[in-house]
Parts: sequence; structure tokens; C-alpha cells
Amino acid sequence: MLQVKNIVKYYGNNKAVDNLSFEVKDGEIFGLLGENGAGKTTTFRIIMGLLEATEGEVLLDGKHIDYSITDKIGFVTEERSLLTKMTVKEQIIFYGILKGMKEKEIEKELEKWLKGFQIEDYENRKIKELSKGNQQKVQFISAVIHHPKLLILDEPFTGLDPINVELMKKAIFKLQKEGCSIIFSSHQMEHIENFCEKLIILVKGKPIVDGYVKDIKKAYKKKNILIRGENLPIKELEKMKGIVSITKIQDEYEVKIEDENIAPKVFQKIKNCNITKYDVTEPTLNEIFIAKVGEVHE
Amino acid sequence: MSSKFWYLTKQSLKKKVKSKWFLGVNIMLAIVIIALININSIIAFFGGDFSEKVKIMVIDKTELSYPIFKASMDELQKLNEDTFTQEMKITKTAKPQKELEKNLKGNNIVIVFENDDKNYVTAKVISKEKIDNTTYQYLSQGLNTTKSAVALAKTNVDPNVLAKVTSPMEIERVILNNQKSTDENMEMIMSTIFPTLILPFFMLIIFLVQMIGGEICEEKTTKSMEIIISNVSPKIHLLSKVLASNIFIITQGILLILYAVIGLLISTKGQLSLGENISSLLKTLIDTGFTTKLWSLLPAAIIMLILSFIAYSLIAGILASMTTNMEDFQQIQTPIMLVLLAGYYLAIMAGMFNGSLLIRILSYVPFISCLVAPSLYIIGQTTMMDVLISIIVLIIVIALMIKYGLKVYKVGILNYSNEKIWSRFAKALKSKDV
Repeated sequence: MLQVKNIVKYYGNNKAVDNLSFEVKDGEIFGLLGENGAGKTTTFRIIMGLLEATEGEVLLDGKHIDYSITDKIGFVTEERSLLTKMTVKEQIIFYGILKGMKEKEIEKELEKWLKGFQIEDYENRKIKELSKGNQQKVQFISAVIHHPKLLILDEPFTGLDPINVELMKKAIFKLQKEGCSIIFSSHQMEHIENFCEKLIILVKGKPIVDGYVKDIKKAYKKKNILIRGENLPIKELEKMKGIVSITKIQDEYEVKIEDENIAPKVFQKIKNCNITKYDVTEPTLNEIFIAKVGEVHE
Repeated sequence: MSSKFWYLTKQSLKKKVKSKWFLGVNIMLAIVIIALININSIIAFFGGDFSEKVKIMVIDKTELSYPIFKASMDELQKLNEDTFTQEMKITKTAKPQKELEKNLKGNNIVIVFENDDKNYVTAKVISKEKIDNTTYQYLSQGLNTTKSAVALAKTNVDPNVLAKVTSPMEIERVILNNQKSTDENMEMIMSTIFPTLILPFFMLIIFLVQMIGGEICEEKTTKSMEIIISNVSPKIHLLSKVLASNIFIITQGILLILYAVIGLLISTKGQLSLGENISSLLKTLIDTGFTTKLWSLLPAAIIMLILSFIAYSLIAGILASMTTNMEDFQQIQTPIMLVLLAGYYLAIMAGMFNGSLLIRILSYVPFISCLVAPSLYIIGQTTMMDVLISIIVLIIVIALMIKYGLKVYKVGILNYSNEKIWSRFAKALKSKDV
């Protein structure tokens, strides 16, 4: 289990991380979100033991993170961190040995992973000769070849097509089942919604949203209503109190409302309009992210 | 952790040795060194003759000048055998001048001595082309001596007296300060031999700086540094690079010696003898005390050289940690190269400073001491104590670089800001993380 306790990090007079605390249990996937420069990379570096926190502490299975336990951590960085002149095999052996593995052990694991990601033919190819997507797969393999106890994924799906995204998702879920704690960071909120049970949204290093995804969505009052029907009184709806916006999406209307009590009133207005769809939905994580981050900036 | 250190060292060394650059540079170096050692054979192969003798044919109308001129030229050749670019063969001829002029080939010379009422004797020097400068200087010297001797003979000076007058001065050289060089020739030798001796070290240091800096810069620009540093400490990382680079350049140094040995083997057709020219050069070096000084300095010079390699690799590594692209890396190389170049020229020109306090202090300065201190010691302007002081200063600087430089390195390798490189360096020094 990873425990991040009240960490604060200053760069000169600039507070990069402000009293951040969270826990990631074994087999849990945790989302760490934030706009660019919110303090995610600094947080990752503190967790990896690359930077020391000005205040607070980070524990993995109850132990302070230092070079004696960094072998248990895997890290997929946002930008590709591969030595491009090396072959796929050389690169993974290089990182594997730095994680404390033996060469034979790495070769055995590598065979399985390359097959799983359908890139077994590229074993002896130089990394610079691979496509972006295949480079991303190599980066992922090099981060998980040692079966880490904690895995940090910073934008892991960059450059991957939908088929390969699915392959990687399967691999992540497999690691989760093995009991690996995973911290996931992405600007693509649908990935966060698919993966994470819990999350934190950082703004200027400070957590502004923290908790289970379900609870966060529930606590967020604004809802969406998807309506499909004929002769809908859109102009009347727009004038109604509690309606935030109405947007036409193909043959449907998405009506954003201030809270769920407005939903029955909307239904009253349109019930005689030969409606074929009326669906009150939770807001997306993307909407919550934009709204919450926007509030802080305002 | 130590196994990771050795692994990183091995990996870094393997990467350098396996590179196409290493192979290419070594093929080039081998060709250049072997070719330079065998330059005479190469010139001869293309129709030239480096060891071709200059034939001087003398028409002596005075019936007195030829034996004096020949004796004088032979003596000059014997005394200055190292600086004679071409050996001279002097013969007397009875052939007419016109015929000789007609058949004059290559660098051969015809000298005609004629009686002169006012000046006792005159000489006409005839050649097909311009005469080589050094040959002409010795020729003029020989002719002047001949003129003096002929003049004395014509004024009826006793032949014994004449022989004594024309023989060279016997010089006994005494220097009371026994710490100083016993021979003024040493400085001349320093200016000719020493640049050749230190050139390989100069080259190796350049290789070293480029190797270690380039590798760190590559790891930073590819962002793989973050992954490496999350598994091994920055200290282990830098020291593994320093060790690998030093093993690499020492290997490169040994290879340079090997190429020279191969060159000599080819030159002497497998005999591994030093050859006539090198043997004679070596004899001069032994006579002037150069080799004795060099041997006594060797242990200290090797220690100083290895320490300087370490110092250069540490500074190159620390500065390279601040780079974010190859352009930055070029910038950090410039000051290192300038310092190295200053050291090289100071070492060559060491004799010009006449042992002044300034050059003595400069010989203690790390990064240039490995070039300046041995140079000053050999020409007798400093003592072994000065060399030892240079070594101690170097050790202190290395210790300081390990203590403070490593902290800057730790901050630098994770710094990807867009600020100017020297500003990044200054901030890293002030950083609280340091």
C-alpha cells in the first residue's frame, strides 16, 4: 500500500505541492489529475524518491521510499524515456537489470510481454525504428517487467490506436489483479472513469477534489438530461429557471440542469411531445474537471 | 547497489567501444600514425627521396679552397646532424662549368671557387632550383670559414696556427644552480619534442569530455535519465560514467602506443629497432638529460594525468547534467576546451616565462597543471615539490567537485527548464535541494 502523507514541496518560494495526502491500496487504481503545471510530475518524483518533500512523508508498505525499495516501483513517464539507439531487447534488459533482475529472468518475461503486445518480431529492432505506438508498448513493458508493487502511469495511452489501448488496458487490469497499486494520470477523462475508483484533482499543487469517483459525481449537483422527441419546446425550456444550457447533438438534445430537482419540471414541459428518449445522467468527469479547475481560476 | 554500479560502468564502456565512431576514429588514427612513422617510405613510393644526398661539386680554381671547404662542411654536418635536413656529399671535379651546368639535376649544387685580388677568394653557387633554407645557411657558414682560412693561408700564416684558428671553439658549460637545466638545448628540445609528447593527452582529454558529456546529454534528452535515476543514485550514475570514460581513454591511449609500435615494425621491416633518425634523436635527448628528467617525473606525471582525467570527466559530467539538448552541450564544451588549450600552449611556451612566479602558480592550477607542471619540471624551472603541490591541489579540487558538484548534478539531471544553461547552473548551486 502506498501512503502519501501531507506532502509539501517548495521550489524556492514557489509551492509546487501543497499538503497532499492520499492512499493507494494493493490492487487499487488511483487517478491523479490536474492541468499542466499542477504539481503531478513533482508528486511522482517525490513518490519515486527522486525529490525530497519539504514536508510530509511517502511510505510504500510502511517503509520510506529510498533506493532500497525503488526496485518495487515501475514508472511510465509522460514523454518516452527510451534510449533510442538500443534495440528493444537491450533496452528492456538495461532497465530490468537496474530493477535488480537477472538477465535470464528478464529474457523469459520479455518473451511473454512481447507476445502479449504482438511485437515479438521487433525484439532486435532499434527503438528509433519503431512507430510511436510500439515505442509506447516497449516503455510500458520496461516499467512492468519486474512485476512492480507500485506502478505510476503518466499518460500511458499516448500514441496508441484503440486496439492497442485495449491491449494495454488488459495488461493494466492483469497487474491490478496481481495486487499492484497503480497511480494513473491522464488528460483523457474517459480513461480515468474506466480505470479509477478513487481520484484527486490538483490545482496549483493543492487537492481540490478528492474521493471515490461515484461519490464525486453524486456530490456534483449539476446533471444532464438527454432528450429525443418531436416538436420539443426548446425556446420555452431555455427560459426555465435551473436550466444551464441546451445543446443539440445529432438527433438529441443535451439539457444541462443546475440540480436533479429540475429534471421532473423539464419532463412536465415535454411529456406531450412524443418523446422517445428521456435520460437523466451523471455529469462526465471531464465536466467536473473543467468546472472545478475553472472555479479555482475564477 | 554496487552490482548496479558495475553494470552501468560495463554498459557505458560497451556502448563506447561498440560505436561506429570509435571504430572510425581508430582506423583513421592508426593510418595517420603508421603513415607518419613511415613517411620516408611513402615519399619514396611516390618517387621522392627523403634521404637523398645533396651532391656538391666543387671547381677549385684557387687550388686551396676545396680541402678547407670540405673539412669545414664535414665538421658542420657532424656537429649538427639532427638539424641537417639533407646530407651533403662534397666532391672536387675537373669538369668544365658549362658541362656541369648543363647536366645539373635535382637538388645538386655546383660551387666555383675563384681567386680574387681584393677579397682573396670568391664563390659562385649554382643550382637548378631554390636551395633549401637550412642547407643554404650551412653552406654560407662553410664558405665563410673557407674564405677566412684561404685569406690566412694567402697571408702566409703557419699551417698549425691556421688549423687551430679554423677549428671550432671547445666549450665547457657550467651552471652553478644544480636545480636548473644543464643544457640550453633543453628549451629548444621542449619546443620541438614536448608538443608531440603531450598532444596525445590533449586529444584524449577532448575525447573524454565529449564521451561523458555526450552520454549524459543523450540520457537527458531522451528522458531516460528519470528512469535510471529512480533506480540508482545520481552519485552511482555519475561515478560509473567517470570510471567507464577513464577506462575508455586509457584503452585509447594504449591503442595509440600500439599503432606507433606497428608503425615502427613496418618501418624497420619487423626488427623493432628505432631506426637511424629516432636513435639519433634519442641520443640527443639522453645527452641533454631530457630522458633522465622524464623518467624521474614519470610516476608523478602518471598520477597527475589520471587525476586530471578524473577531474575533467567530473566537470564534464556535472556541466552536462545541466543540458537539455545538444546545443547546450556544445556551449558547455567551449570553456573546457579553452582551458585545455590554454594549458597546452602554456606547456609549450613554458620556457619563455623564465621560471617567473606567474608560470609557477599556473602550474598549480587544476585542469592545466597536468600539462604545465611536467613541462616546467623538465626544463628545470620547478622542482618535484612543485609537482607534488600540483597533485595535492588537484586532489582537493576533485574532492570538492565530488562533494558540491554531485549535489548540483542531482538537481541538474532533473532540470528541463528553458532558462540559459549558465543561469540553470547558478540556480542549481543555490538550490535548497543542493
